[in-house]
Amino acid sequence: MRPAMTAGLVALAGSSVLGVALVTTPGSAVADPAQTHRVTIQGLLYVPETLSVRPGDTVVWTNNDPFPHTVTAAGAFDSGPIAPGKSWRFTARKTGTYPYLCTLHTTMKGTLKIE
Amino acid sequence: MKHFIITVAASSLALLSGHAVAQAPSDAQIASIVVTANQVDIDAGKLAESKGSNAEVKAFGKQMVTDHSGVNKQAVALVTKLKVTPEDNATSKSLKAGGVDNVRNLEKLSGAAFDKAYVDHEVAYHEQVLDAIDKTLIPSAQNAELKSLLVSVRPAFVAHLEHAKMLQATFAKKS
Repeated sequence: MRPAMTAGLVALAGSSVLGVALVTTPGSAVADPAQTHRVTIQGLLYVPETLSVRPGDTVVWTNNDPFPHTVTAAGAFDSGPIAPGKSWRFTARKTGTYPYLCTLHTTMKGTLKIE
Repeated sequence: MKHFIITVAASSLALLSGHAVAQAPSDAQIASIVVTANQVDIDAGKLAESKGSNAEVKAFGKQMVTDHSGVNKQAVALVTKLKVTPEDNATSKSLKAGGVDNVRNLEKLSGAAFDKAYVDHEVAYHEQVLDAIDKTLIPSAQNAELKSLLVSVRPAFVAHLEHAKMLQATFAKKS
């Protein structure tokens, strides 16, 4: 009984590993699990300047400049001031193209595409 | 008054450009110029934070204090690491004197006249500092990390200049 149960568990574990492998296969029609994307803020630039993500994905902006910046898309999202060395995380929900800027340095511009 | 203040700023930095033609500043001198240029704008920003009458001018002054303090913290950390001792020179001394004169003149003003004089000076000052960064400081810096610091903070001066110009345009519409 006991060895048979163990074998069953192993089989189950094996199939779930296979299941995960199927889901993460590139190009698979099955929805990818939510991903985390990173944007670096340095020298008053958002890098990458344009980022495409899927609903449910998380975007983390990290400020590597020696003074605060914001990540602000009017009416959609606003980080408020992100202190030097700190990060701000946002979970993408509604699809669309969101141009954003730093309200403190309006020469800084980026775009988040949720598609 | 406005012309006097702007002339002081311009002449401090004109000296910087003139100095470059005669002799390029050393890294120790560049370090001193960078720290002084930031400090001058921090001092003016502190005054605007307390004396400004327009909320946007106060916020701009506060941001100048925050941003230029951040740059100076990074600059001091770098020169400490590089074991470079900032060396006073004609340009840094002139910048410092110009900053003292600017603060002294701003202290005599209040209300809208203060706001306008502060913002006009910020526009002229950032234009002149950018000119010095491009024509003298970046080309003269020998150490790669010092050069890289100057390159990475340059866009902050551009953003500040745009912001100050926007405030200046708002005042022009009102008057």
